[in-house]
Amino acid sequence: MKFTFFHLMPWTDLTEPPTQWPARNAPFSGERGTELYKNYIDAMAYAEECGFDWVAANEHHFSPYSLMANCNLVGAALTQRTKTIKLAMLGNLVPLLNPIRVAEEYAMLDVMSGGRLIAGFVRGIPHEYIAYNVAPSESRQRLREALALITKAWTEPEPFGWESEHYQYRSVSIWPKPRQTPHPRMLLSATNAESAEFVGEHRAMLGMALIVDLDSAGQTIEAYRKVSRAHGFDPTPDDVVIMQQTVIADSDEEARALMRPALQYFHGILMRPQLDAQRIVLQKTRYFGSDAQRDHFVGRLSTLKARTLEDQIEAGSVLCGSPESVVNQVKKLRQHLGTGHIIMNMKIGNLADAAVKRSMELFRDKVRPQLASL
Amino acid sequence: MTAVFTQREVSLTEGRLRIAEAGEGRPLLHLHSAGGPRFSPVVQHLTANHRVICPFMPGFDGTPALPLVKTIPDVADLYAEFIRKETPGKCDVMAESLGGWVALWLAVRHPDLVDHLVLEGPAGLRPDGKGGLPADPAERHRQLYAVPERAPVEPRSEETLAANRKAAADYSAGIAFDDALALRLREIDARTLIVMGYREQIIPVETGHLLKTKIPHSHLTYVFGAAHAIEFDQPGRVGALVADFLERGESFIVRESAVA
Repeated sequence: MKFTFFHLMPWTDLTEPPTQWPARNAPFSGERGTELYKNYIDAMAYAEECGFDWVAANEHHFSPYSLMANCNLVGAALTQRTKTIKLAMLGNLVPLLNPIRVAEEYAMLDVMSGGRLIAGFVRGIPHEYIAYNVAPSESRQRLREALALITKAWTEPEPFGWESEHYQYRSVSIWPKPRQTPHPRMLLSATNAESAEFVGEHRAMLGMALIVDLDSAGQTIEAYRKVSRAHGFDPTPDDVVIMQQTVIADSDEEARALMRPALQYFHGILMRPQLDAQRIVLQKTRYFGSDAQRDHFVGRLSTLKARTLEDQIEAGSVLCGSPESVVNQVKKLRQHLGTGHIIMNMKIGNLADAAVKRSMELFRDKVRPQLASL
Repeated sequence: MTAVFTQREVSLTEGRLRIAEAGEGRPLLHLHSAGGPRFSPVVQHLTANHRVICPFMPGFDGTPALPLVKTIPDVADLYAEFIRKETPGKCDVMAESLGGWVALWLAVRHPDLVDHLVLEGPAGLRPDGKGGLPADPAERHRQLYAVPERAPVEPRSEETLAANRKAAADYSAGIAFDDALALRLREIDARTLIVMGYREQIIPVETGHLLKTKIPHSHLTYVFGAAHAIEFDQPGRVGALVADFLERGESFIVRESAVA
């Protein structure tokens, strides 16, 4: 099994939920922001000492939900704070960005880190498209074109031009190129069978978050495996990467007591402002290819939010408990989904940094050793 | 816009050459693929600003083969004589696949005649025999067209198409990689645009790299959503790209403002 330490970099000091999207930024304090970035990057660097295989970051906009407008900046800091751990950018919201810039920044990270980059590309959550004024209906085609263009930018031996619907470049030749050849491993996210097939077409690793139930997640993973094999790629368990909000404490009771208010802050405050924006995007655009996919996405979020913590643990949606309990929960994911890689999202909402650090150390000392044979 | 191409024959030293032409402006020679002459939406588009001339390789579409025009360089020499006779000076040349092989020899042997050169998935330089036209018709169609619904309706008889395939095979003479041509690519003086479909399989990607490396003033562009028949798969993208290249030459790499 492989394990990743993921940090969302949330703003932790709100007492009331923002009432609209985007969340007004008047409560932001620069001094506190500096402190949070230092603490968060310290925690991410500490992941190497705690035996995680990857440390991961992602990208969000216009929200206290995450202070990571550009995860590549965090990745750049980590290239100088770590030596061996892989740096997973999970990922750049490439339909919103200049794909050539993404190719360049990822190449820089790969070279600066000595070839440790995992290159994640995601379509993102719907409201991000309002932030960057990109038509959500274009997101799928933009992602498809951008992935092809970025791969070319990484691998072409000669300057080249590019003509597609959304991107046109007359002459491209990036410096640096990635250190890994032919290019860094790619990870794409999926929430349903259709997007899982897209991942398989690209022979990429599959990333999944917000598991509602193991059966539907298993169907998505099976679609990925099937299409991958049709494209000449047989995914290993390590290629199926599952993200879980995670709290590990000395006892089940303590872990649940920590996670419960953290999830309340996450869902009740951090997630609150984007629900309106998300509703507009989902109702007024073709962000999802079909109504069924849209309903699946919305239903998944509301289902998770409505569940008790105990139900979420039982359903395989979160990892929470003593080291022994978390070991068993990981084994259950392995057994049902065939995953060989768990991303542990340990900074949940306003969970105290000391509790996050304790989770990391319990992972190192008591969880990972028990899973060494998997 | 649908331009009306008129056909006529031109007497040259080795025999008569059939051409089709339409449009007015700077002459543009369009050299067809092994499929024979077809007036794609891209060719139609270019007649707005060019006198587009489409010669028929002898032996294609019912034209007689010429006894002394047997090889690809022979065809290039035939077209050179045509350019000297029929156009006022240098000529722009764009070419698909088999025609690209002819165009390369034309640019090598007659540099005084070729101004801009556009090569679309050019044949004749497939390293290690990679790629090539599949024998199976269904697979061939799949590799020709990334957007099958844009494939042209075929008006010609099976007899004509079979004769075209034989003519293409005769000219190609089983050569996947023309070593003599490869050795002379550096002599090409024409500013050259190499256009490859992102889903191209018939001509390997290495051909594009080789041409880009060897031809001194060259540009390589990939067209997303296109396989080998790029003029049919993505006529809008290819037409705009080629028209801009022909109009602005090397400065086509600089985006022009939409505001005058």
